[in-house]
Amino acid sequence: MSIFEYNGSAVVAMVGKNCFAIASDRRLGVQLQTVATDFQRVFKIHGKLYLGLSGLATDAQTLYQRLVFKHKLYQLREERDMKPETFASLVSALLYEKRFGPYFCQPIIAGLGEDNEPFICTMDCIGAKELAKDFVVSGTASESLYGACESMYKPNMEPEELFETISQALLSSVDRDCLSGWGGYVLVVTPTEVQERVLKGRMD
Amino acid sequence: MSRRYDSRTTIFSPEGRLYQVEYAMEAIGNAGSALGILAADGVVLVGEKKVTSKLLQSSRSAEKMYKIDSHLACAVAGIMSDANILINTARLHAQRYALSYQEAIPVEQLVQSLCDTKQGYTQFGGLRPFGVSFLFGGWDKKHGFQLYMSDPSGNYGGWKAAAVGANSQAAQSMLKQDYRDGMTREEAVALALKVLSKTMDSTSLTAEKLELAEVFLQPGTGEVQYQVCSPDAMGKLLAKAGLTQPAPDA
Repeated sequence: MSIFEYNGSAVVAMVGKNCFAIASDRRLGVQLQTVATDFQRVFKIHGKLYLGLSGLATDAQTLYQRLVFKHKLYQLREERDMKPETFASLVSALLYEKRFGPYFCQPIIAGLGEDNEPFICTMDCIGAKELAKDFVVSGTASESLYGACESMYKPNMEPEELFETISQALLSSVDRDCLSGWGGYVLVVTPTEVQERVLKGRMD
Repeated sequence: MSRRYDSRTTIFSPEGRLYQVEYAMEAIGNAGSALGILAADGVVLVGEKKVTSKLLQSSRSAEKMYKIDSHLACAVAGIMSDANILINTARLHAQRYALSYQEAIPVEQLVQSLCDTKQGYTQFGGLRPFGVSFLFGGWDKKHGFQLYMSDPSGNYGGWKAAAVGANSQAAQSMLKQDYRDGMTREEAVALALKVLSKTMDSTSLTAEKLELAEVFLQPGTGEVQYQVCSPDAMGKLLAKAGLTQPAPDA
């Protein structure tokens, strides 16, 4: 069994009209056993920048902690928050440092840029960036997520419709994956507010 | 006669003094002053800006106040380039602690680690000491709001009110007279401005010459906040304290 499938995960981010949404499942498993149903995979870096980490849970947590370290120092020195594009480059560089003994994570970065332009990107476990204009997916349920997002997504959705779309895409995809699920956690970020919601799906 | 014991930092003089450390403190005595006051609901740090040329274009928001971490800040007196090095060290140390323990570093621990660095430069390496004194203000869960003062020797102490830089002796004795336990932040700011206006060399006190920063708990969330006073707000505070005087034509 692959190390990426040890804990099970599903993370997805979508771009809307002047907003973005990032969502994840809540299951933490140890292979076939479910150990937690409230596991956090989406982390806040600053008010307009979020990081979703799928893959091995311990690496997700450590990677997040190391990134907070770097971002805090950046904030202190430059007296401003990091732009999403810059943060993506930072994550990519951090992952490539461990090229021959990598973090077993696939990050998803979602944020609002300078003019509140939504920005999303994903990368593989050694930092190959993939920018997208519509949606990015990662985790054990990624194949189902690709299909669900491709069919459900349309550009320039308002926050409420974006929330519905990303929630449906997430829940239907994790239902086809035994290693992810047990509910969902969705964050919709607009220039003025952040809405967090917990979804109840099939609890299996 | 004792000159031959001056030039090496790492040896004592026959009278048991470390001359290089004392000379460092001399250098600080010529720098812009900084005051710190511990209030019941926060820590107030005020600094005197020495260089106020109109031509100065600074990219940073403050010249004498530095944020070390979300719950910790410091005011500086002395050689700014030395200060930058130490502040960077302090910031890294605070983040390394947070990375290991997933907790904010307690204020005294950060001060102690910085002072350990400073002490090293008085005992080995043959390098001169840092010509900076700091006033650290911060908050932690164990001891609440705290104010610490540190000097080039690596000594530090916790204070209710302290002054470093030019005229610090005079400022310290004034603070000793007027400080009251349980002061609020506003009262502490007023006291700091009053003391500075008496000890500062310049004839008039304007907002451009001063910097004010406060560390306090945000009323709604209870999170520690570090805020530098804007020049406009500064002007209003000075007017309220009855301390503004017309600035001389520059």
